[in-house]
Amino acid sequence: MDERNFTYMFFGFAAAWLILALYVLSLVAREKRLRRELDSVRNMLEQRERT
Amino acid sequence: MRERILYALGAIAGLWLARNLYVILLGLPDEAAQGAIYRILFFHVPGWITCFTAFLLAGISSILYLIKSDPRYDTFAVATVEVGIAFTVIGLVTGSIWARIIWGIWWTWDPRLTWALITCIIYMGYLMLRRAIDEPTTRAKNAAVLCIFSFASVVITYKAIDWWRTQHPGAVLSFRTGGGSIDPLMESMLFQNAAALLLLAAVLVAVRMRQEEIGREVESLRRHAHAI
Amino acid sequence: MLFLRQTATIALKDLRSEFRTKESLNAAISFAVVILVLFSFAVDPTADQIREISGGLLWLVFAFAGALILNRSFARELGNDCLDALVASPVPGAALFLGKASANYVLLLIVELVSLPIFGVLYNMRWTRQPLMLAAVLALATWAVTVIGTVFSALTVNLRLRELMLPTLIYPMMIPALMAAMRLTTLLIAGEGIAADDWIWVRLLIGFDVIFTSLAVTLVEVVLVG
Repeated sequence: MDERNFTYMFFGFAAAWLILALYVLSLVAREKRLRRELDSVRNMLEQRERT
Repeated sequence: MRERILYALGAIAGLWLARNLYVILLGLPDEAAQGAIYRILFFHVPGWITCFTAFLLAGISSILYLIKSDPRYDTFAVATVEVGIAFTVIGLVTGSIWARIIWGIWWTWDPRLTWALITCIIYMGYLMLRRAIDEPTTRAKNAAVLCIFSFASVVITYKAIDWWRTQHPGAVLSFRTGGGSIDPLMESMLFQNAAALLLLAAVLVAVRMRQEEIGREVESLRRHAHAI
Repeated sequence: MLFLRQTATIALKDLRSEFRTKESLNAAISFAVVILVLFSFAVDPTADQIREISGGLLWLVFAFAGALILNRSFARELGNDCLDALVASPVPGAALFLGKASANYVLLLIVELVSLPIFGVLYNMRWTRQPLMLAAVLALATWAVTVIGTVFSALTVNLRLRELMLPTLIYPMMIPALMAAMRLTTLLIAGEGIAADDWIWVRLLIGFDVIFTSLAVTLVEVVLVG
């Protein structure tokens, strides 16, 4: 019982940190996608304005 | 400059959490009845504090959006809701792990747990509704109305332990019980961890808000591109 | 006074057009009957079991069948741009909302009053042992379902996937009211009174109705007119 008690405490802490880490990763991924989109739209606009 | 401040604040929050973790694991004694597992409380309760704060701010900012029609309030609302959901999931998962040891089960349909889950589902519905609407003003407006309605579930979740006899433990923090049910040392540690998590959440909200602004810029550039 | 007359006009208009075609009423009632019949195959309950779950079963039926009516509430105005005409008319948003909500309320009550005897016959239940309290609970809880449903029907009317979004949004929102209604209905159909412990559910229902009706009346103008 006592050992399991201790293991689950670590599971709990690990879960909290893991969820935070996953959310941060999803933020990073979205940041990359948005930057790429922004660049591509800007490029498209520039090309159109040149023609 | 803004980015550097954000990264610095994020680093501070991370270090603060690490330091709290050290004190929680090594500085505080085991709880008499529950043993080591009670330490989950230091993530569980601050997680919910953060999530309730986030949803409260989202609700206020939705009201302000409806009054002032300034898209920045909408940006703030969506950012806080998303971060709030992340912390709701933390609260649900840590609570579930604690329950596995203390109650012997992962989940039970106790009023507090049920409302917490409903809150999580309702706010996910908020994000879903946003995805389903393309026109930015309609989206912001309808989402704001939904956000105000949703806050009722947060209030019920918060008060559930007073209204029903729940399996979930009752209030322990002294501002709700008038003191005496938690050791002051533990309570101060709990609030420190809450403060660190709130700081972290604020950084995440700021990052998410900037992304929302970039997204809006992409949208408007696209519309501009279609126009020419 | 004028406000009440406008509300009544909208409600009567909705009811009249519904009673001419009866399209959502027929759909909702037959849907309710189908669920009641399906459920008896699925579980094959004994009399004691059915007494214990009667409230839950009935309110699931009402909520699912109700969604069919609520879905049509604003969607029926989409053809011929009727919704724009309604919004542009001198009727205030709150009156428009209350009118539509009252029409839905009447329709939902009809569905419930038709389903209850069918439930009684199919499951051999005497459901009239506490008629007055049961009527009060039905009235309160149906209004809760109607208010939430009508607001969200207005919110989602212009969406792609409207039929999908409406149920996913309204059911979680309604859970407080549905939970109270299920618990109270089970008690009343079993013929017990409402014990002191269970008055919290009645208070919850009343609070839900008051809070969400006032929220809806305040916010609906924004949703419809913007």
